[in-house]
Amino acid sequence: MPRDRLQRTGVALAALGTLGAVLLLWMVFFWVPTERTLGIAQRIFYVHVPSAWIAFFAFGIVALCSGVYLWLRDERLDMAALAAAEGGMVFCTIMLLTGPLWARVSWGTWWTWEPRLVLTLLLWFVYFSYFLVRNATENPDQGKRFAAVVGIVGVLDIPLIHVSVTWMRSLHPQPVVLRSDGPALDPDMLITLMVGLATATTLFLGLFLMRYTVECLKREVDQRRTGAQAAQGA
Amino acid sequence: MDYLRVIWTVARKDLLIEMRTRERIAAMGAFVVLVGVLFNYSIDTAIVRPQEIAPGIIWMTIILGGLLGIGRTFHLEEEDGAFSGVLQAPIPLDALYLGKTAANLVILCLVTVLIFLVFGVFFGLSFGSHPFVLLAVVFLALLGFVGLTTLFSAMSARTTMGESLLPVLVFPLLVPMVIFGVSATSRLFAGRPLSEVAGSVRMLGAFAILSVGAGAMLFRHVVEE
Amino acid sequence: MTIRTCLLVAAILAISSPELLAQGTDLASQTLGRAYWHVFAAYAIGWIMVLGWVISIARRLVSVEQALKGS
Repeated sequence: MPRDRLQRTGVALAALGTLGAVLLLWMVFFWVPTERTLGIAQRIFYVHVPSAWIAFFAFGIVALCSGVYLWLRDERLDMAALAAAEGGMVFCTIMLLTGPLWARVSWGTWWTWEPRLVLTLLLWFVYFSYFLVRNATENPDQGKRFAAVVGIVGVLDIPLIHVSVTWMRSLHPQPVVLRSDGPALDPDMLITLMVGLATATTLFLGLFLMRYTVECLKREVDQRRTGAQAAQGA
Repeated sequence: MDYLRVIWTVARKDLLIEMRTRERIAAMGAFVVLVGVLFNYSIDTAIVRPQEIAPGIIWMTIILGGLLGIGRTFHLEEEDGAFSGVLQAPIPLDALYLGKTAANLVILCLVTVLIFLVFGVFFGLSFGSHPFVLLAVVFLALLGFVGLTTLFSAMSARTTMGESLLPVLVFPLLVPMVIFGVSATSRLFAGRPLSEVAGSVRMLGAFAILSVGAGAMLFRHVVEE
Repeated sequence: MTIRTCLLVAAILAISSPELLAQGTDLASQTLGRAYWHVFAAYAIGWIMVLGWVISIARRLVSVEQALKGS
């Protein structure tokens, strides 16, 4: 697809996502009913859960693109992985910061060694090392390959980390939406959550496309520069 | 058959270098004993019984001491450019990785034996009545650890950050090893029934297969020029 | 001058807010106040993080486009 159209799609999606976010804010603060036992703090749920979904979804994209990049060595895959990793890190940070705010109210502590919390923190560090190795090499191609390897090993290890941290009993709220006997959530809350998930996904995809096109332009500049240098050298 | 011979040749070469120079093993051995001494003073024995937290301390010592030595797997060869020579050799790169991993595993096993001996003496530990199960637990955990660390030390040796990068890369991935390793060894030390350990052993096996498998598949992308 | 006054008022409000909130009729209003603070903070964090990402993308876009024009 031509880059201009990608960029326009990205901007449109991001604008749509922003509208969604405003709608979500209105729903969260004025519309959705308050949870009986968890109280007001439960409203953090509608930003916390969508960010969690995006953090893991983006990491899926990173791992998939990294794997295929190592195989086909197509630059576009690396750019997509980079763009997704940046977005994933943003949403992972949101999840890590909003989680304690909620935990403080409902559990009484900022931090507990609860499986999903730990998993998120480790996911954040995998993202972190993804960027660290990328920028720590003299040869950029090598950095891309290293980052891809980190992404793949991370995605292989994360299920195992999940199993191992759930070894201890879980304090985290049990799944309320994806259950075999149907969602246990009030319909209004479910609608709000769905709006939140849709908003986060649109916003992420829009910004992802914008970031991707910026990276395309950047590589173009680099190519022109090396081309000009080669011409001067010759 | 040739494949196994390649692995053996690479491992033998690395072990021979180690036997001649004794660089890494000396550093790791000294580190391990001295950490034992420091740990002794970091525990207030009037409040905590060292036996109760010994498994955790042992595993942390294995990890820190292991990183110290295994992080330098490629150091010597990278320094004098010998590694490009190794890469020129007509051998499959995953065999090269497996050979390096095997050599590292042997070295780390020796260091781990030292850790268990020294900590056993320092803290008066009893290792339980199932030595072979304990051996299996430690071996599987070390295999997984060495698999990951060898892969990432090849990576960190080629970055500008060097070995300081290694903990950031490896520590998040070592969580399963620590959880299952500590859980299994604590239960073995405490003389609990074997059925409580079986799950941990299986998970450590999965961890070992995963990290060595991933390392063998991805190594060629790391060392590629 | 007006800025300083505003800051002063804000500071006084911030210092006295626990007492002001505690003047509610029962205990429930106190926890309500704190919980609201957490919810506001959570959504503010969300907005700030996403906005930060947007700004960083925009800045890179501008610099890259300048470089493209220059070359």
